[in-house]
Amino acid sequence: MSTQQKPDQLYASREPVFPRRVKGKFRNLKWVIMIVTLGIYYLAPWIRWDRGPELPGQAILVDLANRRFFFFWIEIWPHEFYFIAGLLIMAGLGLFLFTSAMGRVWCGYTCPQTVWTDLFILVERWIEGDRNARVRLWNAKWDLRKLRLRLTKWAAWALIGLATGGAWVFYFTDAPTLLVNLVHGTAHPIAYTTVFVLTATTFFFGGIAREQVCIYACPWPRIQAAMMDEDTITIGYRSWRGEPRGKMKKQADDGVQGDCIDCMACVNVCPMGIDIRNGQQMECITCGLCIDACDDVMAKIGKPRGLIDYLALKDEALEREGKPPASVIKHILRPRTILYTALWTLVGMGLVFALFIRPDIDIGVTPVRNPTFVVKSDGTIRNVYDIRLRNKHGEARPFGLALNQDAGFALDVEGTDGTVVMVPADEMAIIRVYVDAAPDSEAAHEERTEFTFWVTDLTGTERAFAETIFNGRTN
Amino acid sequence: MSTRNDKQDVETTGHSWDGIEEFNNPLPRWWVWIFYATIVWGIWYTIAYPAWPGLKEATAGYLGFSTRERVANEIATVDAANAEMVAALESVDLTTIADNADMNSFATKMGAAVFKSNCSQCHGSGAAGAVGYPNLLDDDWLWGGRIEEIAFTVTHGIRNEQSMSTRGYGGVMPAFADSLSHEDIDSVVNYVLQISGQEADAALATAGETVFLDNCVACHGEDAKGSLATTRSFEDPADLIADGEMLGAPNLTDAIWLYGGSADALTATITNGRGNVMPAWSEEFRGTSGLTQAEINAVAAYVHQLGGGQ
Amino acid sequence: MGILDKHKVLEKNATLLLIGSLAVVTVGGIVEIAPLFYLENTIEDVEGMRPYSPLELAGREIYIREGCYVCHSQMIRPMRDEYERYGHYSLAAESQYDHPFQWGSKRTGPDLARVGGRYSNEWHVDHLVNPQSVVPESVMPKYSFLMNRPLESTYIGDLMSTHALVGVPYTEEMLESAQADFAVQVNPDGDWDGLLERYPNAVVANFDGQPELTEMDALIAYLQMLGTLVDFSTFTPDESR
Repeated sequence: MSTQQKPDQLYASREPVFPRRVKGKFRNLKWVIMIVTLGIYYLAPWIRWDRGPELPGQAILVDLANRRFFFFWIEIWPHEFYFIAGLLIMAGLGLFLFTSAMGRVWCGYTCPQTVWTDLFILVERWIEGDRNARVRLWNAKWDLRKLRLRLTKWAAWALIGLATGGAWVFYFTDAPTLLVNLVHGTAHPIAYTTVFVLTATTFFFGGIAREQVCIYACPWPRIQAAMMDEDTITIGYRSWRGEPRGKMKKQADDGVQGDCIDCMACVNVCPMGIDIRNGQQMECITCGLCIDACDDVMAKIGKPRGLIDYLALKDEALEREGKPPASVIKHILRPRTILYTALWTLVGMGLVFALFIRPDIDIGVTPVRNPTFVVKSDGTIRNVYDIRLRNKHGEARPFGLALNQDAGFALDVEGTDGTVVMVPADEMAIIRVYVDAAPDSEAAHEERTEFTFWVTDLTGTERAFAETIFNGRTN
Repeated sequence: MSTRNDKQDVETTGHSWDGIEEFNNPLPRWWVWIFYATIVWGIWYTIAYPAWPGLKEATAGYLGFSTRERVANEIATVDAANAEMVAALESVDLTTIADNADMNSFATKMGAAVFKSNCSQCHGSGAAGAVGYPNLLDDDWLWGGRIEEIAFTVTHGIRNEQSMSTRGYGGVMPAFADSLSHEDIDSVVNYVLQISGQEADAALATAGETVFLDNCVACHGEDAKGSLATTRSFEDPADLIADGEMLGAPNLTDAIWLYGGSADALTATITNGRGNVMPAWSEEFRGTSGLTQAEINAVAAYVHQLGGGQ
Repeated sequence: MGILDKHKVLEKNATLLLIGSLAVVTVGGIVEIAPLFYLENTIEDVEGMRPYSPLELAGREIYIREGCYVCHSQMIRPMRDEYERYGHYSLAAESQYDHPFQWGSKRTGPDLARVGGRYSNEWHVDHLVNPQSVVPESVMPKYSFLMNRPLESTYIGDLMSTHALVGVPYTEEMLESAQADFAVQVNPDGDWDGLLERYPNAVVANFDGQPELTEMDALIAYLQMLGTLVDFSTFTPDESR
């Protein structure tokens, strides 16, 4: 705040950013990533997957009403939430790994905020023109032309927002049905509310807030300093090569002038509105657009590329001495990244292993402990158990209950004569079973006898078991 | 790379600690707006909700919010949602409950709640009873274990004053302290120990059989299997209930003892008699603190499916 | 900016900062806490509340000594799920003779505000001796040693006087008969009419089934009383709260 400014000003208004169009390899990479990620987001709910008549036919579905998560051939029940927890841990470790190796590569290429903002800026450029035209329009007085351009832009943004919010709700219920309902006005109010909220937030974050989300709202830029070290590949300006900067002079290189011609190309293309030549800063999302812009200029003036480039802080000292920088592999392969990779792989392998050993049939046993046992009139000791049987199949299946062979108990299921229970498709049945020990049996007088419940799918061969204890009468 | 030049005309607060200066950067506009919004919200909140203390009570708030009222409303909402099932349960044929999955689920869950509020104090929250309070999980029923019989017992209770005409003092165990000598009691105790499969003095037991036949068979029956077993030839439960006064004498040959099966407990029982009371629970006998017909049906269904129901 | 620029004085003088902070906190305390001591609808009287009987009070001391409050709350919140799970929500009056209150802040185990009468004495003995024998998945430690620790009534009168000092309305009669009341509550064959007259709804039983009076007796006497004093079939909540 300079002394001329009013000292009691409580806030600073945002300086608008008008990124200029740029071409180059990093820009192309960003286009590809944008197409792939947005394509996945918008289209994934429409992929069909046949699971049989009683289960939803949508490949990716978060079925909140029935508490199921479907992902192609995988179905997650609420008690298997550790898979989600595991994926989140993997996502966290992955973020650590990529940040320590390559800085804020997530921010620059794949973060939804970046991707959508990129898309919004693209639309803005189509409608209002490139940087200079947009700056002029911004400063222009409101007239019909400005109004028309602005309304067109806002309408396009709103449509993108609507598509974004619309795609989101398709993940939670059958997409084709919901689309028809949404259009006919018969969908659930929550669907409309969600679409509206997400349309509004997409519009606001992508169109208006943009870089402010990264600077003020997102915690990651503030954590990055702790995650990065001298070997981390990040975007930097080779000041030892570029300085002193200045307009290019006609005469031959006299060795005083640096390579930077102060053309401001790197500043003009920056979606965050910063000058990378000021060095590392919190706002930089390392999207690489300034590299493309600078390389373009360097090519034009006949200087080697890479005045602004991906490099590691460690290289600065080497390069100042005129030595070549260390190889990328050398930077990336270090104990820290190897440890992150190892942990990431470990968790991943654990999840895959857990996924493969998990059966389609599941049993949980809760002994009724109040009372621990019941004496029947002939002296038989009875224990009662609440059993949960999970049928993870798309059709109802008969489950046969049994005890381990040598248990010597009698088994009875409440509400049926036999020991067979029909469990509806993709549901959990809770049944009460009685286990009786004859008066003269050993278990009837032991405090604890271990035994096992077996449940068998009578239409197939799958089995599951649960161990529990039988309480006898000790006095 | 140069370090960022942050000395861009921003004045510092003038504070300096160990050479670290504090910039006096202005806040973002949206932040300031949100800050003002929270102040407005705070003022609105104290107007809308109970807040300002007065001399005797606090302001009630424009919305008139009360946590007690809210919880009462929540309970009322659930009651309203259940009203239809409760009405159906009120007039249901008890024997058909188990066949109707929806009704069965509703009745047993409601019955469980009724049981925990009203029955668990004596019969235990797991219905396992205690000394003097019957276990409802086993297969021994002094007053019948069919679902209608359980509902009848809950409605009328046992040996209470409210529903005297139905069960009166039926099945009470008289005290034999005056009519039997110590020796007689001792011998009949040994006889009972013997027929229930416990260790007994054989000589005393033989003598006890005579005492038993002279004094006990009227209620416990010649085979000592109790009155329920001997009267169970009634197939129509209504007849059984009508014959209620004949019920209540326990089977002495099995493993289940309401007041204990040891020699000491048996001696005490024979000497002093037994006659615990179960209250009548229906509104007919208890007024508004009693159970409604739907609640009685529900608790009968709950107890019946605990494992001992017949 | 005037006064707003003077904060440096506070920031540079620790004593002044301390005094200033205290002043701010005091204002907050007076505004938020003090009214609760006199507003009519926060100090309602509820029928049925009585001071703890001597044995219950001794049991309560054991409850505090063993740190039961670390895992068990005694505070049922006015929400339907808690109402269904634990019973009627707790009233402020139900803690009025608690010094200190036992509301707790964490439920590793269940809330105990209405545990009284829910289980039998025998169950409590089994459970305290070996919690896993009745609740297999419980993580509660064993308290079997309470069975072996005889409890003397030597200091019960002093304890009650102390509580009377901080406002519990123990009468002269209660203090005089403290020793007798203490002993008779575990003796169903004794003359406990006076005890019940002084402490209505007290549970008289040989709680742990042993001839001597142990800490187990006192603790179970306390637990069996919890939440049973107010008769909620006749209680009408004041809608203004």
